[in-house]
Amino acid sequence: MINLTLIFIAAAITHNFVLTYFLGICPFIGVSKRIEQAVGMGIATTFVMTLAACVTWIIYHFILIRFGLPFLQYASFIIVIASLVQIVEMFIRKVSPALYRALGIYLPLITTNCAILGLTLFMILRKYTFLEGVVFGVGAGCGFTLALVIMAGIREELECCDIPKPLQGAGITLIIAGMLALSFMGFGGLISR
Amino acid sequence: MRKTIQMISVLTIIGLVSGTVLVFTYKYANPLILDNQKNEIKEAIFKIFPKADTYEKDIIEDSVIFRAKEGGKLLGYAFLAEGNGYQGAIKMMAGIEPNLETLVGIEILESQETPGLGQEITEEEFKAQFKGLMTSPKITYVKNKPPERPNEIRAVTGATVSSSAVVSILNEKIKKLKNALQKLR
Amino acid sequence: MHCKNCGKEFCKGLWRENPIFFQVLGMCPTLAVTTKALFGFSMGMATTFVLISSSLVISCIRKLVPPQVRIATFTVIIATFVTCADYFLKANFYTISKELGPYVPLIVVNCIILGRQEAFVSKHSVAESFVDAVGMGIGFSAVLVLLGSIRELLGFGTIFYYKILGEGFENWVIMALPAGAFITLGFLVGLFNWLNSKLTSAHKI
Repeated sequence: MINLTLIFIAAAITHNFVLTYFLGICPFIGVSKRIEQAVGMGIATTFVMTLAACVTWIIYHFILIRFGLPFLQYASFIIVIASLVQIVEMFIRKVSPALYRALGIYLPLITTNCAILGLTLFMILRKYTFLEGVVFGVGAGCGFTLALVIMAGIREELECCDIPKPLQGAGITLIIAGMLALSFMGFGGLISR
Repeated sequence: MRKTIQMISVLTIIGLVSGTVLVFTYKYANPLILDNQKNEIKEAIFKIFPKADTYEKDIIEDSVIFRAKEGGKLLGYAFLAEGNGYQGAIKMMAGIEPNLETLVGIEILESQETPGLGQEITEEEFKAQFKGLMTSPKITYVKNKPPERPNEIRAVTGATVSSSAVVSILNEKIKKLKNALQKLR
Repeated sequence: MHCKNCGKEFCKGLWRENPIFFQVLGMCPTLAVTTKALFGFSMGMATTFVLISSSLVISCIRKLVPPQVRIATFTVIIATFVTCADYFLKANFYTISKELGPYVPLIVVNCIILGRQEAFVSKHSVAESFVDAVGMGIGFSAVLVLLGSIRELLGFGTIFYYKILGEGFENWVIMALPAGAFITLGFLVGLFNWLNSKLTSAHKI
């Protein structure tokens, strides 16, 4: 139990996917203009991350390792993630049109979100058990949402600020991300894995 | 219907071709990768025991040890130790004298610590401290001052977590090894 | 081979449509592996290899692939080449591949590669796609090496492991940390936007 809590906190805060591993930077810069948007994207990503962690863990251990096919790892993982996103999209559209309207536009973007593939690769690399993998997925998703929402909050405030023209857009976002990364380092001593 | 057949056949062919390409790549690369891993271990052992000319691999109670020898004489045991550091796994090779009381040295094989801070554990300055260190009582570390006792090392400034990780990984493995080897005698 | 716009397609990747500065694509490898110039260079080369080979293959077969399964096909081809690159690095450049770690497989989801296939390769001839891929690859690698050099110089006092700054230089630890990557790239993007606006306004006059 302590181990699982540690994995969760590490993935969500101290080793935040966006701010220490640079995973999922594209949506972090692209979809962080409004807080509602950021929350929607974050929830959709967390959902897919958790599912992806479960499915790829099963595939890796019961198919790839069992039959000695480690070289198919990347190809199979990315296909699993892409199909998963499609299935989730269709499922949500069928079951809850309201949820689909809220999350739908973000779902296709998630396939090329490096955070998902990164999550599955880290999970395999660190030899997590199934339960640890799932907790890792949820934690990483929460961390991603947290970073996205904080960033959106700051950017909403920035709108009325006088930013030098060349830095507007990506430039200032990256610099703020740098400062956020520095402040998240403060959590570093919280746990030692 | 024609569309469906076309879709399925294109995907199948792509899958088959990519699978074949990957099989050949794997066949070519895998022996080289295994060689690289073996070489890494070999280099680390000879770096810790510069006088050794051969080593033997042995497995004692699910831990791998290497007996480093010079012309048949046992110089000491080298062993792999692994554990979690600040950012990810730290994997190292350590050497210990046959009496199991004195460390010969350590080499860091893998680490993903913070560059510029925790990654300093891979620097000679940090690793050299372990040469001739006593293993009992347990190895400990001190901060911001030179070590005084024969079983102490000085932690890297600003990277206590990484330094203490190295120390605790070592302590745990040494304890395990002592138990295992003593049973053997 | 027919390729009338080759010069133009090549140059646009270097500057006007540089994948990092002006399209802001492929951020994760850019930020993650540029603690040292050498790692940036290796990453750039691996990405360029995948970009060129998948562009070549996809431009050859683009007319045979039904549009509905386009993305799936492209992804499989890209993943295949990425796996090849990963194994090649592990087999021949073991130490570098250990440093790059999981960021080599992450080339699969590098938006630059899939983006180029969608935006350019699926509409152009083999020769044009090849030139476009080479240009984009070099443009991407150049930025990685630049960013890596700045961070290595300020964070360790070296470039490609050659000591540049003397003993008196106190390393800026922040440059080696994630925060340094974000801030340096932020300022670089700003600098290049500024240069670009200067250049275009000079051009108009």
